[in-house]
Amino acid sequence: MLIDLRDISRTYHVGGEEVRALQSVNLTIDRGEWVAIVGQSGSGKSTLMNVLGCLDTPTSGRYLLNGRDVAGLSDDELADIRNREIGFVFQTFQLLPRETALANVELPLVYRGLKAKERRERARSALDKVGLTERMAHRPNELSGGQRQRVAIARALAAEPSLLLADEPTGNLDSATGEEIFKLFEALHRTGHTLCLVTHEPKLAARCPRAVRLSDGLVIADGPGRQVALENLRDDPRLAAALRHELT
Amino acid sequence: MNARVDFVEGARIALLSLRTNRLRTVLTTTGIGIGVATLLAILGITQGLDSSFANQLASIGSSSLYVSKMPWVQMGNWWEYRNRKELTLSDLEVVRTHSTYATAVAPIVDSNEDVSFLGQSVSAVDVTGTTPDYLAVSGFEVTSGRFLTDADDDARHPVAVLGMDVVDGLFPMSSPLGATVRIGNHPFTVIGTLSRKGKVLDSSQDLTVLIPFKSFVGYYGKRRGLSIGVAVESPEVLTAAEDQLVGIMRRARATPPDKKDDFAVNRPEQLAETYKQLTGALFGVAVGIGLITLLVGGIGIMNIMLVSVTERTREIGIRRALGARKRTIITQFVLEAVAVSALGGLLGTAVGLSGAKLVSEITPLAATVKPLTIVFGVSFSGLVGLLFGLWPAVRAANLDPVEALRWE
Repeated sequence: MLIDLRDISRTYHVGGEEVRALQSVNLTIDRGEWVAIVGQSGSGKSTLMNVLGCLDTPTSGRYLLNGRDVAGLSDDELADIRNREIGFVFQTFQLLPRETALANVELPLVYRGLKAKERRERARSALDKVGLTERMAHRPNELSGGQRQRVAIARALAAEPSLLLADEPTGNLDSATGEEIFKLFEALHRTGHTLCLVTHEPKLAARCPRAVRLSDGLVIADGPGRQVALENLRDDPRLAAALRHELT
Repeated sequence: MNARVDFVEGARIALLSLRTNRLRTVLTTTGIGIGVATLLAILGITQGLDSSFANQLASIGSSSLYVSKMPWVQMGNWWEYRNRKELTLSDLEVVRTHSTYATAVAPIVDSNEDVSFLGQSVSAVDVTGTTPDYLAVSGFEVTSGRFLTDADDDARHPVAVLGMDVVDGLFPMSSPLGATVRIGNHPFTVIGTLSRKGKVLDSSQDLTVLIPFKSFVGYYGKRRGLSIGVAVESPEVLTAAEDQLVGIMRRARATPPDKKDDFAVNRPEQLAETYKQLTGALFGVAVGIGLITLLVGGIGIMNIMLVSVTERTREIGIRRALGARKRTIITQFVLEAVAVSALGGLLGTAVGLSGAKLVSEITPLAATVKPLTIVFGVSFSGLVGLLFGLWPAVRAANLDPVEALRWE
């Protein structure tokens, strides 16, 4: 088992008010799984993603990543775990604007302390995998949105992490480009990567083998993606029919 | 991730950032540069003054003491000095007899006179009446002719040995030897000339004429009172010789133990001390101004680094998400600050050195800069960068990665 969340809660204090972003979440993800995390905005899916990615620490509960309890780790140890175990893909790409595509992909390897030559080789092969060999000397502002997201995915892949965490990766892309990126994730899933996709689009969740629905910080559904997506549209038969039609 | 990687990557990012924000880099650098330039120029000029003054003092005679009624450097009640007894020839004899360190003892009386020859005149010449021993006390050498002799003194011969300023003024073309010059209203025959010693502060030691002691007393009286010049073997025994002289003089004058000395033993270093007191305050103020300028430059760096951290909040979030430790972020921003300020230091050093050189070219002030000063300038400005860059860097490292990634 790669990820084991037990009774995870995360509480914020905003202006004296308590916000319970996650409430006793239990979730396990096996190696090689592809899980969509869906929910309305404010449902806690971003918080869950941050906790999974060790960017945020839960207020209570246990988080075992690769069998290791992440809860009591120091800031430096968490940084090292993000570096080795997690590959982030963000909605807004989050590339360094002044660095070339290649340098962006190399960045996590720099922090791992790899020699320049090995960094370069691994970054190149990651860019190969996302089909950007030609554009690696370009800076982000010389690339299209889809290409930028590919660079970001290559950056996540270069680190060879245990878990790829994608937060609305198609949210800033037009539908055709978004579809290309989604296909890339499908391919990564087929080659054995463990993927976690945060999305608010039922259509995308339905195409994932498994989906988890959050609402008000609680897990309210966990099952095959298609089932979870359709269940949520029970009250709106017209939308459900449209989705069903689209999926076939 | 180790410290070396932190450093190499940090330096790369720092340089990239400096290149990207060229105008900002130039302005911040200028701030620090002005501070360093000010400091270096001041240090250079002061060092130059110090070393040229040290040379001047050495020319007075570094192994001589002068016993006189008043100290050269007077502090406290002037009336107390003024009411002291004049030194006498018997004091001179006591010193000559009892000082074991003295290699030469000469009486010194002097007066300012005009010296003229064939209608040419040199005014305000220091005319000194003394004996053959004065040659050893003063450190002068005889470059032509001969020096005063005991016979000249005993017979009160009207003979004179001329300093080079007087020679230059009265005998620009010919040899002065054998010529008769008028000192005040009295004719003297020139028997020799002295080596050139140069200036101490602003007064030339070469604007002088030496005549036999007894001739001086006969013609002019003891106008300024008697001083006793004492030469010792080497500068090392100066302090011991000085202590001994004080003892000899007190005994000779029967000064009670509870009374202060009513005479002074002077040595050239005292001039140096006075000079240091005078310039020290000036130097302190100037260095203070330089430091304040650097401080302002440092605040400029801190300001620009805080702006830089804010601007690059997202970048910091990205780096943290990808596995950069806090230390790595701190290193990155501190190096950037140090790079800017060290660059400023380098620039300031160049400007400061040229400034000091310019001053020594167009004014009589000599400016020399020791290599150590340059090292000091650059490393000090680097230190300023470190100090003022540290806080913004720590702030950057302590940003919450989640918040930082969301920053617009």
